[in-house]
Amino acid sequence: MRTATMNTKIHSFAALAGLFAGLAVLVAAPDATAQEVQISGPLAGAKAVRRVRLHRDARFDIAPTATFTLLDEFRRNILFGARLNYHFTDWFGAGLWAAGGISYNTGLGDELQTKAVDGRNCADNPNTLACKRTAVSLCRGADCLGKSQLGSIVWMIAPQATFVPFRGKFSVFGKAFMDADISLFVGPAIVGLNERVDCTKGTCATTPTNPDAFSTAGRVAPTATFGLGFNFYPTNYAAFGAEFRATPLAWNTSGFDVTGDDAVDSNDRNFHINPMVSIFASVQLPTEIQVAD
Amino acid sequence: MRKNLAVTGLSIALALMFAPLESFAQPRGRAAEPKAAAGEDVAPEETVEVPEGGTPSAEGEPAAAEGGEAGSLDELCKIDPENCVKVDMNAASKRDIDADMYAVQQIWALRTNRFEINPYFSTTMNDQFVAHPAPGLALNYYLMHWLAAGVNGNVYAGLNSQSDFNFQTSRAARIGQPITEYQWNVNANATIVPAYGKFAALGNFIFHYDFYVVLGAGAISTRPTAVVDPDNRTFAYSVKPTFGGAMGIRIFFTRYLAAMLEVRDYIFWEDLENPSIASGLNGVGKPLAQDPSTWLAPDSSFTNNVQAQLGLSVFLPFSWSYEQAK
Repeated sequence: MRTATMNTKIHSFAALAGLFAGLAVLVAAPDATAQEVQISGPLAGAKAVRRVRLHRDARFDIAPTATFTLLDEFRRNILFGARLNYHFTDWFGAGLWAAGGISYNTGLGDELQTKAVDGRNCADNPNTLACKRTAVSLCRGADCLGKSQLGSIVWMIAPQATFVPFRGKFSVFGKAFMDADISLFVGPAIVGLNERVDCTKGTCATTPTNPDAFSTAGRVAPTATFGLGFNFYPTNYAAFGAEFRATPLAWNTSGFDVTGDDAVDSNDRNFHINPMVSIFASVQLPTEIQVAD
Repeated sequence: MRKNLAVTGLSIALALMFAPLESFAQPRGRAAEPKAAAGEDVAPEETVEVPEGGTPSAEGEPAAAEGGEAGSLDELCKIDPENCVKVDMNAASKRDIDADMYAVQQIWALRTNRFEINPYFSTTMNDQFVAHPAPGLALNYYLMHWLAAGVNGNVYAGLNSQSDFNFQTSRAARIGQPITEYQWNVNANATIVPAYGKFAALGNFIFHYDFYVVLGAGAISTRPTAVVDPDNRTFAYSVKPTFGGAMGIRIFFTRYLAAMLEVRDYIFWEDLENPSIASGLNGVGKPLAQDPSTWLAPDSSFTNNVQAQLGLSVFLPFSWSYEQAK
């Protein structure tokens, strides 16, 4: 009896041992299989973004642009141009932006012309205190500020590298969707300026013997440019967007004798960051688009 | 005998082991190529999940496995007749389905019924003569995901500063540009969030953002700075009504914390210093130049105070429950 009971216990123990051993294998095996799942969910190992349409990879980007200068003091510039980029990858490209255009007086420029130039009429009243004190800094005559004194940006050429660190999509009220990206660009720039011609002390005021004391001339200024762009892709081969660009540069926007030394020269130039915004519509070539894995 | 029992136990265990393993090892449905109607794009991440044993139909809907669902039910009924479920598949397929499908499901940073606390710092964008930087605070309550009501305020006092450009222009052209300083403003606002999306940074880190517009009205306290006749004129602050709007972008770091950049235009009619100095004496023999009624320009000036506001947004409560399944 004792032996039978013992045998039964032994048999039961053997069966349980086999069962537990099997269970151990059972628990261990799915654990190993499910390791990734347990660590970070069913998307473990998956890319953050899949099947991204590669709007830029191995494509040319051709975009006519209209650029408007911002925070202008006396003259506002509108530059019309084009941008041509080739993208070696979806996140890096190189190209060129060039533009040229027109300028016109800001409200402050017009006010200065009206009140300080036309209102004083220094051509006929040269000996008033205001006219004497401003002889070096203010021209005389109708519309003279814009024609012969105030500075403006005439053209720009900027070879630039473009980086696209941010890529995504855009929804309007959860109904309409567009691909979008944010690009950063940087590069050297060559800026064509129209600026008051330098003059030395004693030659900067308009006099009967020096009627051309106020005139402007072109100057080419090398500098750098950088900025960021917001790009929206309604189709696989066309886009639109806007770019915010800064082009740091020292120049004399007013044509004034800023330093008060009765001369106008490079010392009268002030540093400006020259912010501007461009709007554009672009075409990506070839029109066929690649899709990432 | 002992050996047989042990083998039996192992066999049971192995049977249990392989049964679930077989389930785990079922191949996941391979994602089908995104299908779109002619001229319609499919969002980059969107894929059509195919059920096990099925293939996607031309319309992107999963086709039934071989044999169909009716066949599968028949097989189940053979195995377990007592629990056999009878479904008329033809009738079921014709029933009306009231299915709500959302273009975007479970928005990551839901705003509905949440408070937004938005401290920021602002700086003037369109005044070359004097800057009006200010710390500010906006409080909003989102009635809907895309609509909020709230207030905001700025404190300018002590931070107004005249620029070098003001000095240089005044000296070179001998003109006095009327300038003003601000003390504070408060506004009641409606915020509309029409657009939102997400970006992948370098194809890896994903962040969410939204664009919003603000319409508001309130009051602003300002006063002219005496430039033309500072010896006689001292201006006190006065309150004017203001209105305006803003556009901004928010980038979410977490579901409750975001960075924001907003460009806001506060529009109001500003009192400016009179560029002329009154001469003569008034009725009681006091110089008119000292009479405050002569200090202000006859007409108010329509003013756009455009500010860039950069700050953080904290949304409360920090977490929430979605009404719809993902």
